[in-house]
Amino acid sequence: MALDLVLTLMALEPKTFNAGDKVRVTVSFKYVIGVNTTVKLLAGPYYTNLFGKHMVDPCVGQADVPLVAASMPTAGSATIDFLLIPKAQGGIDNGTYGLRVWVEDTNAVAEQDNVIIVTGNAGSGDMFTAMMPMLMMLMMLGMVMPMMQGLGGEETE
Amino acid sequence: MELKTLAIDLGEFKTLEEGTQPLQEPSAAGWYIDPKTGERIFYDPNTHKFYTMAGGVYIPLGYMNPAPKQVTLAPGEKLKITMSFKYAGPAIASAVCYYSIGVYGLFGFDEKMVGQNSKSIPQYVTPTQVTDSYTFTLPTNVGNDWDDIYCKIYGGSPGVPQTLFGYEQALLIVGKDPTISEFTIADFAKV
Repeated sequence: MALDLVLTLMALEPKTFNAGDKVRVTVSFKYVIGVNTTVKLLAGPYYTNLFGKHMVDPCVGQADVPLVAASMPTAGSATIDFLLIPKAQGGIDNGTYGLRVWVEDTNAVAEQDNVIIVTGNAGSGDMFTAMMPMLMMLMMLGMVMPMMQGLGGEETE
Repeated sequence: MELKTLAIDLGEFKTLEEGTQPLQEPSAAGWYIDPKTGERIFYDPNTHKFYTMAGGVYIPLGYMNPAPKQVTLAPGEKLKITMSFKYAGPAIASAVCYYSIGVYGLFGFDEKMVGQNSKSIPQYVTPTQVTDSYTFTLPTNVGNDWDDIYCKIYGGSPGVPQTLFGYEQALLIVGKDPTISEFTIADFAKV
């Protein structure tokens, strides 16, 4: 049995945005549906780590898309905006992100890695902030170690 | 509104009472009733042989087949199913031509919609094509999984052997939930 797989690269070029920018995404699709209805389109940036892909939830935007009843596959398109909320406001950090768009309650999903480059978050390059957890740990070790040594000394006497 | 059609060929059969003529090979694979014994037999056109039982267990009925085409239907639209078969024998009064749309699965065919016609067939000396049809109108609550159909003919006087034939995934129901394909990101930009 032969299995033919066709992998099509999405032709999206990486683009650089500033934190606080609004991004507009255009999608195209085909659909069939028996009655006039409205579906919810969502889009936003995602990052990837060891545990998979994770949406940057505060930045996910949504839009309602009306679909006119069509019993034959019909071409459709829609736009959706989302805001790259700055890190200081609980949003997205500087870095490179993927872009995902999907239609709620359907299997319609499109995504591409590493196409959204976010810059301009003030303070993201602050070395002190980045090293705070390590410094805290060192400070705690510095406090605990003398106590442990003190306990050891009493036992030897 | 457009009327969509789907045709089913039941092959060839004779009345149950006929026992004097030699058994002719059916034109399609499937289960038939032996006019001599009344037993169910399976015909394989590849080997040109009939089968009854295997290992003491009847082979499951093989009346469902892959659909040759898929008809797209929405609530309110009409589907005309046409059955055809070849018949040779005495005139038959009031045979039942039965049609169903439903869900075919592990536990058989779950009939969601049924319809039937009473069919009288004149006497034919040679195998002659006979057709019958039924038109369904899909209700607004049609399920997206109502995509299987089958039909059968049975009964009458003199009686005809029950002959079934069906198609899996013959329908593409476009109900209240959308089916979206070729979903792609065309562009993205700062606004």
